Formats: sequence, C-alpha cells, structure tokens
Amino acid sequence: MGKSNKRLLVHKDMPNITTNENIDIILTPQFYTFLKEELGVKFAYQAKQIAPSLFDDYLDKSKEYQFFVYKCEEYWCFFAYDIDEMSLFLESRGLKKYQIGKIFFAQELSDKLDNAINLGEKTALKTIDNIVALVPKRLMGSKYIYKDLDLKDLSLNHGISIGSSFGSLIPLKQTVAITILLTILSTIFILEGNRVKSSIADSEEKEELLISKNSKLSSSRIRKSILAQYEPIDKIERLKRDTIEDISKLLSSNSHLKELTVDEKKVSAVIEANKATINQIISNATKKNLTAKKEGSVVRVERVL
Amino acid sequence: MNLMILKRFKNELIVFIASIFVIYAIFYKSSADSFVKNKKTDIESSISEISRVVELKKVWKSKSILKKINLFKTIVSKNKLESFKKRGQKVIVKYKGLNIKELNSVIKHIMNNPFQIVKLKIDKQGKEKYRVELICKW
Repeated sequence: MGKSNKRLLVHKDMPNITTNENIDIILTPQFYTFLKEELGVKFAYQAKQIAPSLFDDYLDKSKEYQFFVYKCEEYWCFFAYDIDEMSLFLESRGLKKYQIGKIFFAQELSDKLDNAINLGEKTALKTIDNIVALVPKRLMGSKYIYKDLDLKDLSLNHGISIGSSFGSLIPLKQTVAITILLTILSTIFILEGNRVKSSIADSEEKEELLISKNSKLSSSRIRKSILAQYEPIDKIERLKRDTIEDISKLLSSNSHLKELTVDEKKVSAVIEANKATINQIISNATKKNLTAKKEGSVVRVERVL
Repeated sequence: MNLMILKRFKNELIVFIASIFVIYAIFYKSSADSFVKNKKTDIESSISEISRVVELKKVWKSKSILKKINLFKTIVSKNKLESFKKRGQKVIVKYKGLNIKELNSVIKHIMNNPFQIVKLKIDKQGKEKYRVELICKW
C-alpha cells in the first residue's frame, strides 16, 4: 500500500472500475464537508476532539460521520465524511472495501486546481478562495479548457490509513495491539524456556565431574550391577551388627551372655539372669523388635535376618 | 485472487501468525519444563547412584581389608588363638578362654570392619571365659 498504489479521484460521475489492485482514493467535496478554522489548540488530537461540535450545524444528523483534521498553515482543516456512504458508492463502481488503501481529500489539491478539472458531463473541480469546490460546468463556458491532472505525481501528505480495516474482522489498531501482546508473550515464554533449560547446567556439571572421577561408573548398567551386588551385603551386615549391639544393650551387671550365634539367617543370643532381670530383658528386647523367650533361668533373644 | 484474499484478511493473518508463534512459545516452554524435569531426575539419580556405588565399594571393597583380617591373629595373646585359617577371601578364626575384655576387643574388631559375617559363635565356657568361632569373608 502507500505510494505504490494507484490513485483515483472519487466523484459521483466517475465510471465503473475493474481492478484487483489496491487503490488510494481522493475524495471530492461530494463526499466530505470541509471547514477551515483558526483555533487555539496545539495538537491535532485536541482539534479532532472539538471537530463534532464544529460541524453541528452542517451535517445530516441521521448519518454517522468520521472526522479528520490536519494543520494547514495557521488554520486547522476539518473534514467530516460518511465512510459507509463512500464505501457503498465505491462498491457500486466496482471497488471493494478491502481494495481501498489510503483516503485523501481533494482539498489538498487546492494549489493545483486554479484551473478546473473536468469531472464528467455536469461538474468540474476548481479552487475558489483556497477551497476546492465542485462547480457546474455550465458556469465555466463552453470554450473553457480543462486542466489534465496527473494524480500519480501529486504530493499528498494527509491520508487516512483505514482501508486495510474495511474487509477485516479485526481492525488495524486491534491487530497491532494483539500482535504486540502476543509477540511479548511469546518472547517471555521463549526466554523463560531458555532460562529453565540452562538451570540444570550446574547439576550436569556436577554429574560430569563425578563421572570423570569415576570413569568406570559412567554406565548406568554397571552402576546398577555393582549396587545389586553390594546393597544386599550392606543391608544384611548392618542388620547383623545392629542386632549384636541391641543384644549387648540388654546386658547389665545382673545378667551375662551365655551364648551368641550369628549366621546368614539369624542372630541369636542366650542370656543368663535372675528372674526379675529376665522380665526386664524380655520387655527391653520386645521394645527393640527382638524376639525374646524365657527358657528356665535363661532368656533366648533372636532376630531373623 | 488468492493474493486478494490474503490482502483482505491481512489483519486476521497477522493475528493468526502471532497466535501460532505464541502457541509455539508455550509448547517450547512446556517442553523445556518437562525436559528439565526429566533430565534433573536422571542427573539426580545418576549422582545418587554413583555416590552410593563409591560409598559401598569404599566400605565393602576396602584395600586394607587383609591387614585387618591379619589383626585377628594378634588381637589376643597367641595361646588363646586356637586356629587361624585363611582361604581365598574367607577366614576361619577360633579363640578359647577369652576374658570379657578380650571378647569385647574381638567383637569390636568384627563390628567396626567390613567383614561379611558367615558365622559367629560365642559360647561361655566357664566363669568369664569364652570360646569364639568366627567365619567371615570379604
């Protein structure tokens, strides 16, 4: 779109168009109402805010108008236009809404239209008192030589970029906002993903260091095989030792060890003691999850491994 | 005509592409999370396995085990050592007439060193006299 688009002067006597290309249009005063005011405002958005009230007495209240403002020398140039009326007219001439690129106003051509240009059988376009206006051709005289205006080379600076929103379900402003939001979200997710991925670098380094120190243990299969060999030994031998220690804690000055047997299946001890101490030994052994059984004047304590 | 459709729905197309990008980014983040979770579990498991293997080997495959086995010969006086037989990675030691102090020394030596106890038999033979039979391997 933009400068590369073809331009078209839009007036009610224009012929039908057959094109698939996008077109920048220049509206003639048939499609807009123009006001030129000297206002004490600095910015265009401020001027645009007061535009509806300026046009209060000039516009048809049953229609819905859009407003456009730009600074023209010491004045503000105000335009009111009915976008539906314009787009319906263009569609009737074969130009689809979505083909409309930028919209310009013929007022911008005021310095080029000292000599009128021909707009068809009945009207001409001419600058009168610095305002571009439609003039009935009968006022121009039959011998009037109309100017040929090459729209392609004209410098037009005040266009409205709303064409792209015509055929779309999503307006341009929302498209930009949504796209920016989604792009920011995407970037956050990707950065976060990268941060998460790099967060295991420390653990990987620790693993590599351990493997480099124990190169034979780099394979998980070897490690599992070694564990399968040593873990049962570690478990059973610790249990044997813990049991011997538990049995030794059952001994006191009133009791003494008569027999201790450790084999692959169990740890068993016979403790000699007086009657009162035997009960105490049985009670303490039970607390330590040892099986204790009184056998006459001795107690047999054991744990199955 | 296709180009015209693209131009007409340019805004929707831009939003669609941005949506695809955000879906890709969400997928990327989610796969990064799951990759890191799995990788972390793998690494932690490897580190724990290696550390455990090193620890177990250090305990149960101690290089100084032979020195400690030979100590059974000298831990009590010679006359109380009934027999000491070492075959391969197995030792059979028998003591007789050990007093409580000597018995405790022998038991302490067994308890504090990485011998695999195949058989330990302690019998009281008389007042404060013990007979010990030990078979262990390494």
